[in-house]
Amino acid sequence: MDKVATLSEAVATIPSGAHVALPGFAITRCAMAFASEVIRQGIKRLTVSQCVGAMDADLLAGGGAIERILYGGGSLDRFGRLSCVNRGIEQGTLVAEEYSSLSMAFRYLAGAIGLPFVPIRSLRGSDVLARLQEIAPSATAYVTDPFTGEEWLALRPLTPDVTVAQVQVADAEGNAWILGPRWDNDEQVKSSKRTIVITERLVSTETIRREPERTVIHGFRVDMVVPLPFAAHPTSVYRAYDYDAEHIRMYAEAVKTPEGMRGYLDAYVYGVKDHWEYLEKIGGTKHLNGLVADDVLGY
Amino acid sequence: MNAEFEYTPFELMAVAGARELKDGEIVAVGLGLPVVATFLAKRTHAPNLTIMFELGVIDPEPVDTGVGLADPRVWYRAKILSTFVDMLGTVLHGGRVDVGFLGGLETDAYGNLNTTLLGDPKGKFRHFVGSGGANDIASSSRRTIIIVRHEARKLQEAVSFITSPGFIRGGNTRAEAGLAGEPSRVITDKAIFGFHPESKRMMLLSIHPGTTLEEVLAGMSFEPIVPDDVPFTTPPTAEQVRLIREEIDPEGMYSG
Repeated sequence: MDKVATLSEAVATIPSGAHVALPGFAITRCAMAFASEVIRQGIKRLTVSQCVGAMDADLLAGGGAIERILYGGGSLDRFGRLSCVNRGIEQGTLVAEEYSSLSMAFRYLAGAIGLPFVPIRSLRGSDVLARLQEIAPSATAYVTDPFTGEEWLALRPLTPDVTVAQVQVADAEGNAWILGPRWDNDEQVKSSKRTIVITERLVSTETIRREPERTVIHGFRVDMVVPLPFAAHPTSVYRAYDYDAEHIRMYAEAVKTPEGMRGYLDAYVYGVKDHWEYLEKIGGTKHLNGLVADDVLGY
Repeated sequence: MNAEFEYTPFELMAVAGARELKDGEIVAVGLGLPVVATFLAKRTHAPNLTIMFELGVIDPEPVDTGVGLADPRVWYRAKILSTFVDMLGTVLHGGRVDVGFLGGLETDAYGNLNTTLLGDPKGKFRHFVGSGGANDIASSSRRTIIIVRHEARKLQEAVSFITSPGFIRGGNTRAEAGLAGEPSRVITDKAIFGFHPESKRMMLLSIHPGTTLEEVLAGMSFEPIVPDDVPFTTPPTAEQVRLIREEIDPEGMYSG
């Protein structure tokens, strides 16, 4: 079944107020083109979730699209903080349910395999849990192990309305390969009600059938497939292209202030019609060619 | 500092961290100096160390310095590239991690780590990176090693926010919380600390060469337990410093 759509068509299916699971990890495989299109379409009040907060969530926060974030903390690695997310938390304009990486992953896992809850050793004895119990009282509870009588912390399953998967290779049905580490992406897709796959390359199903052991996203779970090159720019996509250090540095500096954030949005989000214009604005084919990954190194 | 060659406080910290790792152990590594320490151990006395990064990376052999765990430079030549559930779930939560190696904004007299916020959690505060896998690593590793700069604001009686629990409030409070393992060392640029077997309060184990006890205590916001005889930390060897400078962190990103 052919599920190929444009980015604009895919984003238009997301209602304001939905819970969207995002694919990024700090500055790698972030749904940047997706985040920009969400902001351009004026979608608001989203809840977003991901194990480790990344640049896609920060751009959405800076663009005023989200009101709640479920995450395990995050940064732009050595490029700096997630300034927009942190500013929202500090000023109280963004509600943050903060977890650890594994407790987020276990919430997606419980959602994926249909368990009513999953016990975890993490979080106990920490202020992460104390704060979480205030902000999201129904996200955790204590249970007694029926076999040993021990008390455990239990996590409620997470079932996002939509997962956005940012992948290297997919076919028109949505069967997808994610090359490199996949952090929480497998469980995100499998716990979600809907999935949008954004792929660097669209291949035939025959290509998928030749190496099916690489398929980590089940096509039957996927609703829309958006073929779009450099859709994670300025973050990296393993074995496709490196991060754009200059652009991330510029972003990290700009978004330290609300005025700087507005300037960035005016130039790179509102200032372009779509992803194709964005790619021209950042330097076009010549600039992007300089980011293409080396076959051996993967970056 | 040393008659034959100079080394930086960061290089000494990395070497002290490396020395804590035994051959054959599985190590969950956070960002920064712990990465330098772990690669140093693997290239010297612990070639059979297994190095794990939370996002799904086992035993990489980088040839370029990366900007963090999200940098594919750090994943180069890995033996396994997988997921959080695989690494933090089956390896860490499953009880296979010997050493968790963490850095942080501040730690305290009981080895609790804060990477979340500075200020008043209920009032005005500045929010930082949060947990990532650090809380998971501190909750399930057999031993946790903390690397932190030796400054009074980073060594507090009690951290303003426990992101990753150490001995919590000392005594049995960690075990009562249902956590596995325990913090074993705090390594700073002036000294190495352990924890008292009963009270679980931080205890001075050695002072780095060229540093005095007064300097160690002046750089802390609390009184650690100080035994009668405190030896000096063994200084790095020339070969360890060469490996850090020429092969592991040639750009001095973490240990310069």
